[in-house]
Amino acid sequence: MHIPDGFLDTKTIVATSALSLLGVGRALRVLKTQMSPRKVPLMGLAAAFIFVAQMINFPVAGGTSGHLLGAVLVAVLLGPSEAILVMSVVLIVQCFLFADGGVLALGANIFNMGILATLGGYYLYRLVALPIKSERGKFVAVAFAAWFSTVLAAVCCTGELAWSGTVPWSVGFPAMTGIHILIGVGEALITALVLAAIYATRPDLLSIGAASGAEGEARPLGGVLINGSLIIIGLVLFVLPFASRWPDGLEKVASAIGFNSKVLARPLIPSPLADYHVPGVGSLSRATALAGIVGAILVFGISFVLARIVISKPKDRIS
Amino acid sequence: MAAIELQSLCFSYPDNRRALHDVSLRIEAGESVGLIGPNGAGKSTLLMHLNGILPEAPSGQPSVFIQGVPITKSSLRQVRREVGLLFQDPDDQIFCPTVYEDVAFGPRQFGLLEKDVNDLVREALIKVGLRGSDARSPHHLSAGEKQRVCLAGILVCRPKILALDEPTRGLDPRGKRQLLSLLRSIPATKIIATHDLELVVGLCRRAIVLDEGQIVADGPAMTILSNEELMLAHGLEKPHILKHAHPHGNIP
Amino acid sequence: MHHDFLDRFSRLDSPVHRLPAALKMAAALVCILIVVITPLRTIYPFPVVAFLLILVIALSRVPALFFLKRLLVFEPFVIVVAAASLLQPGGGMTCASIIIKSTLSLTTVLLVSNTTPFTELLGVLRRIHTPPAFLTLIALMYRYVFVLIDEMQRMKRARLSRTFVTRGMGSWRSISVIIGQLFLRSTERAERIFAAMSARGWR
Repeated sequence: MHIPDGFLDTKTIVATSALSLLGVGRALRVLKTQMSPRKVPLMGLAAAFIFVAQMINFPVAGGTSGHLLGAVLVAVLLGPSEAILVMSVVLIVQCFLFADGGVLALGANIFNMGILATLGGYYLYRLVALPIKSERGKFVAVAFAAWFSTVLAAVCCTGELAWSGTVPWSVGFPAMTGIHILIGVGEALITALVLAAIYATRPDLLSIGAASGAEGEARPLGGVLINGSLIIIGLVLFVLPFASRWPDGLEKVASAIGFNSKVLARPLIPSPLADYHVPGVGSLSRATALAGIVGAILVFGISFVLARIVISKPKDRIS
Repeated sequence: MAAIELQSLCFSYPDNRRALHDVSLRIEAGESVGLIGPNGAGKSTLLMHLNGILPEAPSGQPSVFIQGVPITKSSLRQVRREVGLLFQDPDDQIFCPTVYEDVAFGPRQFGLLEKDVNDLVREALIKVGLRGSDARSPHHLSAGEKQRVCLAGILVCRPKILALDEPTRGLDPRGKRQLLSLLRSIPATKIIATHDLELVVGLCRRAIVLDEGQIVADGPAMTILSNEELMLAHGLEKPHILKHAHPHGNIP
Repeated sequence: MHHDFLDRFSRLDSPVHRLPAALKMAAALVCILIVVITPLRTIYPFPVVAFLLILVIALSRVPALFFLKRLLVFEPFVIVVAAASLLQPGGGMTCASIIIKSTLSLTTVLLVSNTTPFTELLGVLRRIHTPPAFLTLIALMYRYVFVLIDEMQRMKRARLSRTFVTRGMGSWRSISVIIGQLFLRSTERAERIFAAMSARGWR
């Protein structure tokens, strides 16, 4: 999902760069105040690890191969702010050394894969895992969050492309996001399997993220709000203008309340092809959205089965 | 005032593994001591106490004294300047992108001016025989060169004491010989934890045998190494060099 | 040490290699800005940039084949988006625009990264006041990528020599175990690096 140069227009580049700078800057500041020097080599090595892990091909049926993104993996192991920095470092080196992702598009790539995927996936995990007590349950939550992170990044990427006039939403959404609903399954699988492998030998490591505030002490609410705002701004700019047009049900509700849904339908800064629908393809968006919902349920189910296979019941394990 | 003094040093790992049990010793300035013993004896653990890496939280009762100074939280910085510690895996120790940056790390941490750092680094690289390797990347170095970069990184701060953990591991015979002559040329107090008994014979006047966290023998190296019974009892053996006459003379 | 693929040409000698890193990076940035912002309709900057790039490649002693190979490996992402962009009025122009712009930008970046040692790139970042914490992370990452690749290759070989099943869920499982092991070894190594850094006076 690395966007090369030339795919995004100027306003998108500026907006995504601003959001990324804010997000990464914030993560740096957060860690400066509460970081122990011990974390620095850990994060450096985690970045090297993600870089190498992303290079690995996972054979998928049909001769293609999938790759790990790793945002949720790192967030669960090291903490969300740490993960933002780690993913950003990886993306920067990939960009400068390998031209994997454009230089001006770095802002968008860091926002999608380094901030949105990380925070979106992580917060979802925390939310879903809240009522869960069993370890198996937590693995299900992580797998689902990993799937979600991929899809979320893809959705935002689609929005950025649409906002730039490169690919109209009605085409991009089924193509990009649709594909990533499938790719996300691989991410869920790999993340869960890797975490299980780590958990089998060093269960204490899964509390590293906890130590930095994940499970234990309450993170200052302000932090969550600021991070949340970044996500919301991004989604409002890049996704909402396009996505809000198809749910007829939502529009009916909006007009019943007296809210002019047309306002929502216009993107904040108009892009030339925002209203364009390829004839016959329009309904594909709706189908994709449905597939997304079905996919989410399926992934949840698969994660459940997976967790069964991968985590042995406490009484089966020899203590 | 001894260079190194340990007074009844005890240490256990967080998982309650007993690593060192009532270790007491005294090493005078300028001595070369070989620390030998089977795997798991606690040699690395002991070395890590010499510049305060362990215990992680220095307790109120210091058991380690470097040049008379007890190792406490406040004396850590000074101690780390006096004691140069060489770890087992050079890849853990060379953590900067180039040789120059890595050797310069120590002096920079101690706040020296860049010009002085430059002079010190050049001098250290010449001393270890790596003149001109400033810009090389660590992953292009051979095992022997990596070892020498690590040494340069320590020597650059001119420590009075060298604590080396398996310095000849992974070196070919030529690398070992080069390291040996290099170490011989450095006048600092040396304590070397090693399985390489030929190194001990070649470099150390004194040997200490550590087994299961306790000192079981401490005396002249030749005497200890020649004591076949003692060596075998502690997972070691009498070095070949003492068993047979070497064709090039007894001691290299 | 066959992971030179990451750093093969940056230490050659040529007039381009000898240029200061800051100059190369600034020139590349300007070039990419022009390429990205100029609409394809204003055709003239593009052949100029292309010509300049070819000239610099020739001067740089980096084999042209390297660039060609990299350009021909089209990411699935690019293919999908390029195809999708056609499905709109004026789509042909959009598609051509993204292909031309991304190709020129990609070549520019590859040119800089293959004629400049990584440490010099870091040096430039330091001079433009990138937060030091960030730079430390990048430096550490770069340093240990090679070490981790080595470790991974060793684990892969060890696994291969013990595995009879190479397809299906079995291989996903074993790849994940290797990745998990890699993470564990990375954390343990990070601890040792921290000890080494502390031993040399780091705070």
